[in-house]
Amino acid sequence: MLALWAVAAAVLDTPRSLPGPAAVAARVAGLVMSGELWLHAGMTLMRVLAAFVLAMTLGVGLGLWMGRSRGADHWLNPALVIALNMPALVVIVLAYIWIGLNEAAAIALNKIPLVTVMLREGARALRPDLDEMAAAFRMSRLDRLRHVVLPQLAPHVAAAARAGISLIWKIVLVVEFLGRSNGVGFKIHLLFSSFDVAGVLAWALAFVAVMLAIDIGLLRRWEARANRWRRDAA
Amino acid sequence: MRLDLQGKAFGPRAVLGPLSLTAGRGQRLAVLGPSGIGKSTLLRIVAGLDHAFAGHLSGDDRVAMVFQEPTLLPWRPALQNITIPTGCDAATAGALMAQVGLAGREAQFPRQLSLGQQRRLALARAFAARPDILLMDEPFASLDPDTADRMIALTAGLLDRSGAGLILVTHDAEEPARLGARPLILSGSPATLGPAPTDAR
Repeated sequence: MLALWAVAAAVLDTPRSLPGPAAVAARVAGLVMSGELWLHAGMTLMRVLAAFVLAMTLGVGLGLWMGRSRGADHWLNPALVIALNMPALVVIVLAYIWIGLNEAAAIALNKIPLVTVMLREGARALRPDLDEMAAAFRMSRLDRLRHVVLPQLAPHVAAAARAGISLIWKIVLVVEFLGRSNGVGFKIHLLFSSFDVAGVLAWALAFVAVMLAIDIGLLRRWEARANRWRRDAA
Repeated sequence: MRLDLQGKAFGPRAVLGPLSLTAGRGQRLAVLGPSGIGKSTLLRIVAGLDHAFAGHLSGDDRVAMVFQEPTLLPWRPALQNITIPTGCDAATAGALMAQVGLAGREAQFPRQLSLGQQRRLALARAFAARPDILLMDEPFASLDPDTADRMIALTAGLLDRSGAGLILVTHDAEEPARLGARPLILSGSPATLGPAPTDAR
């Protein structure tokens, strides 16, 4: 991909609309050196994190409820289908108007339906024999959630988290683009106004690198830990 | 503990008829009958897992259940499979694991144990709950004869030491005698309880 990009940039020779990898890399280095990257990426990351925690908590709760209760599923399903198919931009604009500039809520609203759907499928497949065991031993609600239900949902939570984090950071950029005064999306808005393609690419790539580091550093480690029990004896 | 059952039905189908059952510490009884007659249904009522029946369940004895399958938490190590459901401390759980011959396997996950070992772990878990009455649902089914023998001997030993009572559900007429349990027969439709014929093996 990098070679293709370098060749295309060299052939077209239009540094304004398609700068080469070297030029973009130099911009990224500049952003890292000046500390600008950390400030704006930090702001964006904070928004991603807030929206992620909110969306996962509510989505897991709702999904679990809908998966376990036929009544809840029956009544909430139409709302869920509508929410799933609502364009992100419409939700963001409406959220700005209705609940003010609360970006975490605006972003989470886009993400909750997806988490809910994925967790509902997981909750439908919970093992009834373990439920019965928990009931026979009079386990507390909290213990059941921690030790019986959530471990069974772990693969679904991981899938929802991975799909979610990529969706969320893209929506965060749109929100910042539309109406924030800091963050990666805000910077891209500024650079877009001055047609600075190298700058836009530098910011986007730098932030993708940050998200990749999070996936490898946190998500994969947690998954490996949560799946320890699947391995046979060493 | 005393169960006075008027009847239990699944929809229009009456499964259990009027019957009564008394159990307590030190009393061992076995409910025999062919598959599908309602033995497990009866045990689930006694265990408090099924409340949708006509009748009355009284007594405040602690019960613990050994299911037909080991029914362990695959994502928790062996020792925690005892401490988490029963709330007992790690020392008690470790001692019970040693009694069922699982010493040294505390940190292994259920998947890493054989089926026989998983069943012994489930037995240790049930005793960790310090039951007054132990409930067992076909616990020796699908085990090879040697493993079943060991499980039966182990169960008898633990019952002797703890003084707990037993309600065993089985289709094997030999098991009750080996555990010193009084056999009762569940038969008819809807099924009712009766004493086992004296000429039963």
